[in-house]
Amino acid sequence: MTALPKQMKLGLYATATGGHVAGWRHPDAYADMGANLRRCIEMAQLAEDACFDFLFLADSQAMRGSDWDVLSRGSTRYVGQFEPLTLLASLAAVTEHIGLVATANTTYEEPYSLARRFASVDLLSSGRAGWNLVTSSNEEEAHNFSAQSHMQHADRYRRAREFAEVVLGLWQSWDADAFPRDKARGRFFEPSRMHLLNHQGEFFRVRGPLNVPPSPQSHPVVAQAGASEPGKALAAATADIIFSLLGEFDAARAYYADVKARLPRHGRTPDDLLILPGINIFVAATEAEAQAKQAAVQGLVDPVVGRSFLEMMLGASLGSHPDDGPLPELPPTNANTSMRQKVVDVAREQNLTIRDLYMRMTDKDTFTVVGTPAQVVDQMELRFHGGAADGFVIMPSFFPNSLRDVVEQILPELRRRGLFRTSYEGRTLRENLGLRSIARPALLA
Amino acid sequence: MSRAQQMKLGISLVSNGTHPAGWRLPQARADAALDFSLWKSMALAAERARIHFLFLADGVAVRTAAKDDDALSYSGRIDQFEPLTLIAALSAITERLGFVATASTTYNEPYHIARKFASLDHLSGGRVGWNVVTSWSEAEALNFSREKHLEHGVRYGRAEEFVDVVTGLWDSWEDDAFLRDAASGRYFDPAKMHVLRHVGEEFSVRGPLNIARSPQGYPVIAQAGSSEPGQELAARTADLIYTAARSKEAAIAFYSSVKGRLPKYGRMRQSAVVMPGILPVIGRTEAEAQEKYDALQQLIHPKVGLAMLARAFGDLSGYPLDGPLPEGLADSNGVKSGREALEALARRDRLSIRQLYLLVTGAAGHLQLFGTAESIADQMADWFRNEACDGFNIMAPYHPGGLTEVLNTVIPELQSRGLFRTEYEGRTLRENLGLAHVPNRHALREQTAAE
Repeated sequence: MTALPKQMKLGLYATATGGHVAGWRHPDAYADMGANLRRCIEMAQLAEDACFDFLFLADSQAMRGSDWDVLSRGSTRYVGQFEPLTLLASLAAVTEHIGLVATANTTYEEPYSLARRFASVDLLSSGRAGWNLVTSSNEEEAHNFSAQSHMQHADRYRRAREFAEVVLGLWQSWDADAFPRDKARGRFFEPSRMHLLNHQGEFFRVRGPLNVPPSPQSHPVVAQAGASEPGKALAAATADIIFSLLGEFDAARAYYADVKARLPRHGRTPDDLLILPGINIFVAATEAEAQAKQAAVQGLVDPVVGRSFLEMMLGASLGSHPDDGPLPELPPTNANTSMRQKVVDVAREQNLTIRDLYMRMTDKDTFTVVGTPAQVVDQMELRFHGGAADGFVIMPSFFPNSLRDVVEQILPELRRRGLFRTSYEGRTLRENLGLRSIARPALLA
Repeated sequence: MSRAQQMKLGISLVSNGTHPAGWRLPQARADAALDFSLWKSMALAAERARIHFLFLADGVAVRTAAKDDDALSYSGRIDQFEPLTLIAALSAITERLGFVATASTTYNEPYHIARKFASLDHLSGGRVGWNVVTSWSEAEALNFSREKHLEHGVRYGRAEEFVDVVTGLWDSWEDDAFLRDAASGRYFDPAKMHVLRHVGEEFSVRGPLNIARSPQGYPVIAQAGSSEPGQELAARTADLIYTAARSKEAAIAFYSSVKGRLPKYGRMRQSAVVMPGILPVIGRTEAEAQEKYDALQQLIHPKVGLAMLARAFGDLSGYPLDGPLPEGLADSNGVKSGREALEALARRDRLSIRQLYLLVTGAAGHLQLFGTAESIADQMADWFRNEACDGFNIMAPYHPGGLTEVLNTVIPELQSRGLFRTEYEGRTLRENLGLAHVPNRHALREQTAAE
């Protein structure tokens, strides 16, 4: 018997009003997605009916930026939205299959609390939770957590590495058979099946055990996005999923090969880590209609918002450089360095003006595909079969239309080609992603 | 305004029950703590009975004074959902029931707590409350990079500032700050956003919070402090005050003491409700109730009982269980006043070690009410009418029967006497508790200035 052909994994970027800075202004958009549970439930159930592997909630523990006028013109900079872990738990109660992944940051959290909250959502959802590990990437967060300044990149990653070690360790506090709950003898758990962590490190001292036992998928799936060198190293050691923002085929393929080649040294196989680039899709029956859809959203971009969004991605001010001029040389940054490099490379290669660039960036993503279902799926398949992606995170411009378009036009085409499931294979997120249920995660060397 | 004519009632649910041996009862679900479908049905049952809120106690550790892992393994309060995620899940399947969850000011950051409770308040449509605790256990300290728990005074200093930062962040936005006006492109009105810029002893927090103002203004704030600084914090900031009182006299004294402190902070006596914890044991006759309670107490494993005493007296496992409390025990690291009171009680009543742990283990210092639904309702009415409380926080000793018994017998009895409502009066927890929506301090100032 031959094995079934491999299929794509699909996640849904489900944060606030959508991925596009002007999406909320579209006449059909739910502009209150960040504060309306009913709409979030509608979205989650739509994605679940479509058999998405998971939905993903990005996060920031501060609004991104200090220019209140700019911030007041949009929602994508974490202005007003549900706190992701609480929203995830609410969605766990009204869904049955879809994975529930949220960002939580290692710079301003305590590992015990974070390990516990994700373990709790994992149990509430019967094994469908995932943690997207990020380090804080902005100064604004520091100001909300009694920190004088933003932690340096290298320090953040050292802390993140130790943080991951503690969380993964706490998730091993109890064996699956640790709780006999023997009423007759009065013995609730079996002491030899409990494991105290007793971690002593540079940043943390944590005894354990966690007061939440393992879920049906043993522990939550771990996602990461870091594209920098320390980010890749950490992901190769600890992550189950990488959210990359590389859409350009050659760059995506090189990245894919680089990361997968790092796995064997951690005792892992290439299948143990899935690489899922973000993709923003404008689809319609004809190419012209698809382009019109994109133009409708792009036409809603407020120049003030577009320019400042670009500044945020660059981690630098553009000062008085005009929108119609080229991108100037930039001073060094302590922000997300891989993000900046990508933007700068695109600008230089294609000789773009500041305006060109921010219009290009407004969907948060350089991988935007516009066209008919067949054209879009061709691009997805090229990457999937070409060693550049194990699947994708769909980033709708706004809700609900951009998601509906994908469900109604892209998924049937993917299924026609045998590239996506028609029903969930397993009960847990780990099972649906085809990830081994590992008793002990790859250890940090 | 006079006192309300009807009681406020919460139900305290924790892990596998509030009684340490509850899980061992034949009719108990020993794996209740992690069965979400069971928690859903318990929440829906409480909502049908028009209960004000479910209360979820919490600790950020397996909290224990057990001498070793073996002794610990006899405790049924090891595993539980993390309460904020649990109430988020439960609020998605209920419509009127409130939820009050514990979060520590010692092991959290105020920005996180302000944000999570504001988020929960939006998710639930204004039905959540934050039970402010300062944490007491060594086990928690050891999970948070500390050698031991903070000294009492330091904990309360931090708690005072913590609550001020949280309420300050909750006023980051005026109620109508979010416009979401697609035509003009304005998502919010910057004039209705207020940056906190708090700089204090423990915290510096700029703000604003990245979530709109809570439907209730502020989520309900609950506290259980009985100590002097605890009562002051409660009188200044709490809407809901818990207490453990074993006698009506003690409850009346506490009620009068804490209510008497409210005016000092510009608050009215009815601005906060006082709700002592009670553990009802219900039978068809008084004798049957007593038998049921004895059966429950019999199930307390000696290793669990000794762990309860270890907090005050250290390890007593080397002494005979049915012998007296030994003389000349070394000072322990535990709660001093509690130890002296217990020691005096043991000497006066010549209690054995076993009798002593049975006494402290059952309801952990709360009032145990024995009897029929009628006689329990009598006792509750007596407390309520005599200003010993505004209502009760009813502790469910095991799951799910410990809850359903109360809902099926005591609640209808109170309702038939007109002492408990038969419909929710409002949509939010504040409305149902008879507490006012909290106005935004900045909007209030502008309004006052304009007048």
